[in-house]
Amino acid sequence: MTSITLTPRHIASRTAVAIFGGYAFTWGVVALGITLMYSAGLEFHDAEHLSYIIGFLVFLVAFLVAFAAQALRKAALVLVGGGALMSAAAWWVQGLIIGAGA
Amino acid sequence: MFPNFRHTMAWLHTWFGLALGLVLMVVFFFGSLSVFDREIDRWAIPDTRYEPQPMPSFDKMLAPIFKDMQPDAAARAMTAPLADGPLPDRFDTARSWGAYTTHRDPVLALFASYEVPNAKDHETAIWALRTVDPRTGDLLPVDRLKIGSEFFYPLHYSLTLDWKNVGYWIVGFSALMMLMALVTGVIMHRKIFRELFTFRPNKSTQRSMLDLHNLSGVVALPFHFFFAFTGLMIFAYIYFPVTHTQLTPLHDRHEVLESKETGLPHDRAGVAAPIASVDAMVAEAQRRWAAKGMAGDVGFLNLTHVGDANGYVSVYRAGTDRVQLAGEGIHFKASTGELLREDPPPTVVARINEFLTGLHLQHFKHWLLRWLYVLGGLSGAACIATGLFFFVEKRKRQHAKQGVSGARVVDALAVTVVTGMLVATLCMLIANRLLPDAMPAGWPLRGAMEKYLFWGSWLAAGAHAWWRTAAVAEGRLAPAWREQCLAIAVLAVAAPVLNWITTGDHLLRTVATGYWPVAGADLFMLASAALAMLAARKLQQRAARPLAVKNVTLEAGHA
Repeated sequence: MTSITLTPRHIASRTAVAIFGGYAFTWGVVALGITLMYSAGLEFHDAEHLSYIIGFLVFLVAFLVAFAAQALRKAALVLVGGGALMSAAAWWVQGLIIGAGA
Repeated sequence: MFPNFRHTMAWLHTWFGLALGLVLMVVFFFGSLSVFDREIDRWAIPDTRYEPQPMPSFDKMLAPIFKDMQPDAAARAMTAPLADGPLPDRFDTARSWGAYTTHRDPVLALFASYEVPNAKDHETAIWALRTVDPRTGDLLPVDRLKIGSEFFYPLHYSLTLDWKNVGYWIVGFSALMMLMALVTGVIMHRKIFRELFTFRPNKSTQRSMLDLHNLSGVVALPFHFFFAFTGLMIFAYIYFPVTHTQLTPLHDRHEVLESKETGLPHDRAGVAAPIASVDAMVAEAQRRWAAKGMAGDVGFLNLTHVGDANGYVSVYRAGTDRVQLAGEGIHFKASTGELLREDPPPTVVARINEFLTGLHLQHFKHWLLRWLYVLGGLSGAACIATGLFFFVEKRKRQHAKQGVSGARVVDALAVTVVTGMLVATLCMLIANRLLPDAMPAGWPLRGAMEKYLFWGSWLAAGAHAWWRTAAVAEGRLAPAWREQCLAIAVLAVAAPVLNWITTGDHLLRTVATGYWPVAGADLFMLASAALAMLAARKLQQRAARPLAVKNVTLEAGHA
């Protein structure tokens, strides 16, 4: 049934990308979600809760994608890179909010 | 991972399901017990077998108790590494005093937090906890463990591994894997509707285990998904502490703005001030709820910045008549009793969040719904257990032929987490009835002994499981299952009998007087004993039957 042999290394790298890549990506989604929703006028804790709801669904999808994707490197790049980009954007938006409304 | 998507999903379902299924089994089982955690408390602490009480007088009863409270040795040990130098002998600056009660709990939980003057992080607080009999003001001895709410419940969400929150992380990842298993399970099975009505108990063990796995998974699918998801939501701040790390500046800004808007001081003023009559504030809060057409009892009373001019008193309504958590807080200035603020109705998102987490935490008073929760939780446990059985049944003959021990290892672990967990739970309740009222000097406290005996008996059950699953390595049914079922049957009768002997509360009395917390626990254990007996007998019949069934063809989806 198995058409390719699964080496422990292969499984470990898939799992690592799914867990850590998924986590990094979700962190980005939550951080950016909170800052964007807050700056759009949503109450702080509302922005937090809503971002978490979206975040956990995103994590679930990211986890599955990391295993389903054909190219593991590409999946890793999108998850970790995307997470880092979104976190950086969140930092920037936070800076704007703090700077604007002291 | 594999060229075929469905194949990849099946692989994920099998292997991550197996690895985390063992944890999820614990989470589902103790989650189910936690629905009746306060009732289990009553069973375990016979001195507290009386009816739930309203919040007692703060001025007369609670204030003197709060003034006497101090953190215990365990709290000091936990806080010590967070401070520079040794901790002070006494903590005098109370950040908060809180009292919490539920409609199912006759005892009142009090908690106080104090500033730690030499803490590395100025937000560090040290906590003191006590439990009070609200009728008399007597304190519950500290060696009494509330087995339901202080042990089974934390096992459910943190496995009681508190070091660096590692237990929360394991459970959180398992919850994510539960969601994964549900999604991949649905992807694997195209004929999901038909499977809803398929159960062939008389086919091979393997076949009927798969049917039962699908049935329990599909019937309660929304329930399982919902609980795993809302469980993640409840501890989201631990898993993704975004607003306490990267977004701390935003969070702090929000807190300052919020305290400006609400008029509730964020910090102490540094000026000492007395506390006015809190009972009068409680009466005023109740008058205001009644005026809004929602008269109710106090569920939670909280004093912030105790003894300071900026101190305030928050009175929250008990939320037992709704799914959402308690709310409608009314806040008063502690020194004068002047009204500071009435919480506005929650926003839409807050309402959704309260509904989601409220459904999981179930503070509401609805016995039928509570029992449905227990059944839903146990069906989740059944789904995971049958998944483990299927894994073993499918592989054991092949593994026996190849001489590998994979199926045996999994079977031993399955015995440990399925029947072994029940053995440990029952042993703990039996220990609770048999240990002396106060442990002799030099021994751990009574509550700690109960915990040690729980873990010890679980370990013993695990050793027995390993020893008595040797048959699996030869492709046969492990005798460990039947033997542990018999053990459960004996223990689950012994516990109610011991409850009768040591407290006099036998079933005839508790049922006749309608004292359901204890009657329910006893009846539940007796029903478990009957089920365990039945299972043991079935297993014996199976073991006696020759291995007639050939390996049946299964859906291609199963890896």
